[in-house]
Amino acid sequence: MTALSAADPAIRIVGLSKRFGDRIVLDDVSFEVAAGEVVAILGASGAGKTTLFRCVTRLAQSDGGQIFLGEHAIRNLGGRQLSIARGEIGLIFQQFNLIRRLSALDNVLVGRLGEVPTWRVMLRRFPQRDRQLALAALDRVGMLPYALQRADILSGGQQQRVAIARALAQQSRFVLADEPVASLDPQSAKSILSILRDIARERMIAVLVSLHQVEFAIQFADRVIGLRAGRMIADRPAAAFAEADHRMIFAT
Amino acid sequence: MRTGDAGVFYPDPARSWIAVAPVRFVATLLLVLLVYGFSIYFVDFDLGRLWSGLPKLAHWAAKAWPPDARELGVLIERAIETVAMAVVGTTIGVIIAAPCCILAARNITPSRLLYTPMRWFLNTLRGIDSFIFALLFVAAVGLGPFAGVLGIGLHSAGTIAKLWSEAIEAVEPGPLEAAALTGANRLKVISYALLPDILPNLTSITLYVWEFNVRSSTVLGVVGAGGIGQELKNSVDLLDFARLFTIILIILAMVTAIDQFSAWLRRRLV
Ligand SMILES: Nc1ncnc2c1ncn2[C@@H]1O[C@H](COP(=O)(O)OP(=O)(O)OP(=O)(O)O)[C@@H](O)[C@H]1O
Ligand SMILES: [Mg+2]
Repeated sequence: MTALSAADPAIRIVGLSKRFGDRIVLDDVSFEVAAGEVVAILGASGAGKTTLFRCVTRLAQSDGGQIFLGEHAIRNLGGRQLSIARGEIGLIFQQFNLIRRLSALDNVLVGRLGEVPTWRVMLRRFPQRDRQLALAALDRVGMLPYALQRADILSGGQQQRVAIARALAQQSRFVLADEPVASLDPQSAKSILSILRDIARERMIAVLVSLHQVEFAIQFADRVIGLRAGRMIADRPAAAFAEADHRMIFAT
Repeated sequence: MRTGDAGVFYPDPARSWIAVAPVRFVATLLLVLLVYGFSIYFVDFDLGRLWSGLPKLAHWAAKAWPPDARELGVLIERAIETVAMAVVGTTIGVIIAAPCCILAARNITPSRLLYTPMRWFLNTLRGIDSFIFALLFVAAVGLGPFAGVLGIGLHSAGTIAKLWSEAIEAVEPGPLEAAALTGANRLKVISYALLPDILPNLTSITLYVWEFNVRSSTVLGVVGAGGIGQELKNSVDLLDFARLFTIILIILAMVTAIDQFSAWLRRRLV
């Protein structure tokens, strides 16, 4: 792992574009996230937030532009190198994507899959260190008491937290969170967002988080990016985010 | 002009003319009639011949009573042999199917290039009945249950791999994506994120195929590939209907027991 100072852009997106058929979903999107920084993406439903995350992780193939995560030029990678780069990205999905029949703990251990030898994964014998990391991650999101509960009987908000713990356990250099607090009450939402901000600071992780709520963005992010119909219409320090920006982003 | 609540008129979204209900109905009806017309023509459907054959059947049925239980021990042994053939044959099928179904499932196949040939291969195995495979293996490895087991194994490999790969294609992609995004290789993703969610489903499919194989094993003896079918054929050849009746009763009891047992197991799985 290369040492990153706070000034290096950890995530750098340049002129990214993505089409689905004729519909342009991302149009010339460019921004940077520094190590240790939290950047919020605000956008109405359908603005392209999920699509952006899918392009950055190469779950979807973008049509133009460049994506740099640290030293990885994501758009040019394939096979083994793509796997290595992905191992450094912790993605929190909007739909959680937990393995239904596995326990919360086993789901958090998914975050360790990249590191643990294949035979151990197949036999489900994770080293002590990885189990400790997983339990600590569960504790951090307040889900330790549910460690052995099956994922499919947890409530939506609890599944959300397990999904976040999975990303924490991965100890990645980059965290991308797609509406991580959409199904949480305001109090839990705040605690989850502070966790994301704290790990950004503690571990010098670049955190990119999409949100619907402007007040959360202003409170927890260092910078706010406005996305509207696939175009960036704002990129400001959170403190400078104004009512006018809000209206532009969510105007119908 | 009817309008919605807001006083706005919403025209129906345009559809192609083929999607209009009466056109679709008439077209479907014509197609069904055509299929029946051809099929009845081809099978020489003739109730008169059935009528004239009925006395012969009745005569045989009369001769079948009381069932002849003198060789009950041997027959039951043959029934057990039949179930055993299904067990071993299905297991061979599972062993062949396991690697094949990964190649043949669109969402996890490591190679798009191998996907289509694998599908073709599996369709071929599935398209050739165990009975036909058994016929070939009897010629190759000689009479007896071993030929039958090989036949069942090849045919079930195709069936199991096809049903398994379809089950795999039906899983939601999210958890697999989440696992792949940790940098995990394909083997880790499949064994950790895919298997736990679909193992009950795969097992249920396997039991279903095994159940089916018990039924198809009962006729393999007709081509000399072991099992109770061999006894069945002997009795028919000798017109020994009392013994035949016993065999049919044993087959019925065996198949019913197996079906119930397998259905019970499958219910417990999901
Ligand atoms: N696979 C796809 N094929 C076609 N269109 C798609 C596909 N995925 C997304 N879209 C379209 O792209 C646009 C952006 O979708 P996206 O999911 O990125 O929005 P979002 O900002 O995440 O919205 P939300 O806040 O509701 O989650 C939408 O109009 C959507 O219909
Ligand atoms: Mg979304």
